[in-house]
Amino acid sequence: MHSRAHPLYRCAAILLAAVGLGYAPLGAAEQAPTVEQIVHRANYTSYYQGKSGRAQVSMTITDSQLRVRQRELTILRLDASDSDNPDDASYQSDQKFYLYFKRPADVNKMVFLVWKHLASDDDRWLYLPDMDLVKRIAASDQRTSFVGSDHFYEDVSGRSLEADHHQLTGSDGDYYIINNTPLAPDQVEFSRYEMYIHKSSFIPVQTTYYDKQGEPYRVATVLAVSEIEGYPTVTSAKMQDLRSGSTTVMNYTAVDYNVALDDELFTERYLRRPPRAQLR
Amino acid sequence: MLKLLCRGMTHLAIVRPRTVIAAMVISTLAIVATAALPSLWPERFSALHGIEVDTDPENMLSEQEPVRLFHHEAKERFNLSDMIVVGVTNPSHAQGAFNAATLERVYRLTEFAKQLQWEIDGQREGVLSIDLLAPSTVDNIEQGGLGSVNFSWLMSAPPADDRAAAQVLERAQTIPFLNGTLVSEDGEALALYLPISKKELAYRIRNELLEFTHGWEQAGDNVYITGLPVAEDTFGVEMFIQMAISAPLAMLVIFLLLWLFFKKLILVASPMIVAMVASLATMGLLIATGNTIHIMSSMIPIFIMPIAVLDAVHILSEFFDRYGHHRDKRKTITEVIETLFAPMLFTTLTTMAGFASLYLTPIPPVQVFGLYIAIGVFLAWLWTMLFIPAYIMLIDERRLEGYGHHEGERPSLLGRTLAATGHITTRRPWTVIAATALAVVIAVIGIGRITVNDNPTRWFEESHPIRVADRVLNDHFGGTYMGYLELAAPAGPATFDIAAMQARLTERQRVAADAGNASAPYQRIQALLAAASGDPSVELQTVIDSGLDAAVDDANYYAWDDLQGWLDTEQQRSQLFKQPAMLNWLDQLQTALLANPSVGKVNSLPDVVKTVHRELRLGAAEQYRIPATANAVGQTLITYQNSHRPHDLWHFVTPDYRHTVLWIQLTSGDNQDMEQVIATAEQFIAANPPPQAAEHHWFGLTYINVVWQGKMVAGMLEAFLGSFVVVLVMMVFLFRSLLWGLLAMIPLAVTVGLIYGVIGLIGKDYDMPVAVLSALSLGLAVDYAIHFLARAREAVAAAGSWGAATDEVFGEPARAISRNAIILGAGFTPLLAAPLVPYQTVGIFIASIIVCAAVATLLILPALITYLQRWLLKTR
Repeated sequence: MHSRAHPLYRCAAILLAAVGLGYAPLGAAEQAPTVEQIVHRANYTSYYQGKSGRAQVSMTITDSQLRVRQRELTILRLDASDSDNPDDASYQSDQKFYLYFKRPADVNKMVFLVWKHLASDDDRWLYLPDMDLVKRIAASDQRTSFVGSDHFYEDVSGRSLEADHHQLTGSDGDYYIINNTPLAPDQVEFSRYEMYIHKSSFIPVQTTYYDKQGEPYRVATVLAVSEIEGYPTVTSAKMQDLRSGSTTVMNYTAVDYNVALDDELFTERYLRRPPRAQLR
Repeated sequence: MLKLLCRGMTHLAIVRPRTVIAAMVISTLAIVATAALPSLWPERFSALHGIEVDTDPENMLSEQEPVRLFHHEAKERFNLSDMIVVGVTNPSHAQGAFNAATLERVYRLTEFAKQLQWEIDGQREGVLSIDLLAPSTVDNIEQGGLGSVNFSWLMSAPPADDRAAAQVLERAQTIPFLNGTLVSEDGEALALYLPISKKELAYRIRNELLEFTHGWEQAGDNVYITGLPVAEDTFGVEMFIQMAISAPLAMLVIFLLLWLFFKKLILVASPMIVAMVASLATMGLLIATGNTIHIMSSMIPIFIMPIAVLDAVHILSEFFDRYGHHRDKRKTITEVIETLFAPMLFTTLTTMAGFASLYLTPIPPVQVFGLYIAIGVFLAWLWTMLFIPAYIMLIDERRLEGYGHHEGERPSLLGRTLAATGHITTRRPWTVIAATALAVVIAVIGIGRITVNDNPTRWFEESHPIRVADRVLNDHFGGTYMGYLELAAPAGPATFDIAAMQARLTERQRVAADAGNASAPYQRIQALLAAASGDPSVELQTVIDSGLDAAVDDANYYAWDDLQGWLDTEQQRSQLFKQPAMLNWLDQLQTALLANPSVGKVNSLPDVVKTVHRELRLGAAEQYRIPATANAVGQTLITYQNSHRPHDLWHFVTPDYRHTVLWIQLTSGDNQDMEQVIATAEQFIAANPPPQAAEHHWFGLTYINVVWQGKMVAGMLEAFLGSFVVVLVMMVFLFRSLLWGLLAMIPLAVTVGLIYGVIGLIGKDYDMPVAVLSALSLGLAVDYAIHFLARAREAVAAAGSWGAATDEVFGEPARAISRNAIILGAGFTPLLAAPLVPYQTVGIFIASIIVCAAVATLLILPALITYLQRWLLKTR
């Protein structure tokens, strides 16, 4: 099934080259990283760069009939750890996410709050302004759709590295190929997923999920990368559901790292009172 | 001219019998080869048309038919597919199907069904796993404790024990769109719904499922598979088996009866050859011209056979009666053909007219059916007139020794009965006429009671597994037949109420001022609105975008941000099916539909909104309602989409919320029941117009069946009346007399009337096979009248008066008619053993039509001639 992945990640490779991301491979150039190092770097690049972050997200969901739905939201992120070091596990910590919806109009002011825990299930709340209702969302399953898009909640907040067995199956040009198999296969709908991780930036440029029959059914692809405040940052990413023919593209603008965010923002109290200054 | 044609043909057959036979064999083989070669080796003969089967009742309508185009358009709009329904019950277990062992098997069956796909023409076709409905593929929405809402798989893994299995049922029963669909309300059965990408795969998938579930019955599970695509596709397969069994069996019976009547095997073979040749050549032509084998066209051989045999039997019967007299086959055959040529030509033309008239119906398969039978009838006539004399010429005269009816021989039972009939009908014409009048009255009453109805599932016998599955599943669930009612915002550009927009903007500005927003942006937009004509959206969006980009401070930024919210809200007003008033109206429409006894269940957008709203509000029963504002509806739905199956929403509403669909589950696929459901909805909508203008349209296979049936009934009646007139004109022309012409139509009219009267009286539905039989009765019933009247006139001319001619008429001509009727009537009884109901119907009705037409001819015509002889015979 590699052939299916090629054109897409090549395309991303060109993008990476175009933004001039010439990151030095970690450690000495001659020493190949271990699979643990690769997945940690990828995890860091995807979810932990800086101690906090902010971005405006515009989400475009296009169904198989090319009907388009748009969502716009602001994401605020705060890490519990003070470390920003990808080379040891110290960067890894609990995280809090505050997702504030602007559009479409009927979900304006809707807020989704996540407390991601490394050691236990995440806490999640949803605030529905027109019903003035704060709902906790039971943590049982994170592999459900994120507000009707092709992304799962887990794609937004990150899947625990401890949930899968990781195996470096090879490398292809500028990419490490990592095969990931779930340690608890009954709790997920995939049998494995394969990531193409860029060797110098550690951005997982393409991730393909395979179903229990071994067929690929879901593909995440990075469409654009920029260097922002010294961090290689995905600014456009696509998730395709091969079975429904639906695609979601997320574009990130106004990305900012290490922003001053008060821990108090990430509490139930602020669901009803969005912090305007941080959301602009 | 007729005489010339007659002599020419007879001469050719008698002088060059081998040439005639060779021509028949070669032409037939050539046609058959043209059709058979590309069917057997499609690659090598790609330029030719091979056999193509089409069992899709949708094709009863032309591809361009608006209702069909809409059906496809709407199905695509809502991503709806045809469904195979798999039901599971376990009567031996106290918890029914909801026990751990059964659910474990169902879990495996689901996994198995998910991968039933095949590569067909480069496309993956089969079960659409993403939309498959099964306990392990749907979400449960429920309270998760601590005021949280929980989306989790209803059955993520096989339940550990029976208690866990019972919970699967309990959970599903609290979710309206699962209760009565996935699990039965009585808690005994569960159903899987397998959407399929191609209807043509239904039979194959059914067989795979049957194989997988083989042996489940030992554990107490009953597995039922049904759904319209399965019924239709299975019918197609079984239809072929029927064609291969029923038609030859009918031929065998006819052959045996012919043998019984005419003794000589060698002679009796000839009508069978003609029937075979006519059927083969017609089907060959049909396939070679690129027409599909449809349920209708599959019956063509069964219709052609009796007609072909009928012609040949007239000749054999005459030959049998006269050969004993002449003892010279050449002389006998010439004489026989000369006597029969005109009546046989006319019976052929009338039969052709009867079937060709079907070409006037607006139903393509019926058109093809009519046209090709007309061709087949012509071929049957041609080869009867050429082949039979040629064949007889090649028989060694010694082998005919002792053949035929001998003068002075003791008359047979048939002969004596007919002679008696002749006496009674001519002595007591009034008794016959009164009896006929009575029959007509009964017919009229019966016809008044005819119910027009059809249902593809009922094309199978009661005991057929598909019928059984249909009964069991519709007993437990809301229904396996789906009718769809789409509600849509009126097409065309949205209208803008600028004054109302201004008012709402003023209110928004008032609220925003309290929050400290700048006022200039609001004034800017107010000014634009005041100057606007038509749709101001694009211009407003541009101004707001640049305002947001250029905002110098927070007060301005938040003002522009708020204006963006205002504009979005204005634009969302066109999202008709997010408006609470519309959703509440839909909910009432749904309640009205549920009052109809055929409606088992309705799945709809209001159900989704109400269920999610209830779960958001701590699961309280009184919160099972539509929230008060469009935004709250939007937020409810976005919550619903946080599930494993976010795309499920788009089966009920389009992403622009301007089209929605009610899934109406019917427990019966009868057209009649669907018609009543339509009437229920129409009445409700007429009495309770929607709060905002909306159009409504029906679609779905059950609805399509109603539409083509309507067309068929009207079309058949028109075709029948049209061909009745054509045949009458032909009769008047043949007999050169209006009165004789009318007389010839009477047995036909009485036969058709009685047949349809009886259908009405016994409560048999007027369905597709019954409808096309009117054409056959027209073709067959008039045949006997033509023969009888033609011979009666000849006899009267010879004997001088009707009274003196009666014995002659009730001799040989009446015997030919009776033999004919007995042979063909009995010949079609094997069809009664067919497991497919349309074949049974056709069998019993062909037999009835033939017997009834013969009886009507032999009783009514002599009685009427006796009564009308003054006028009839004077006109000559």
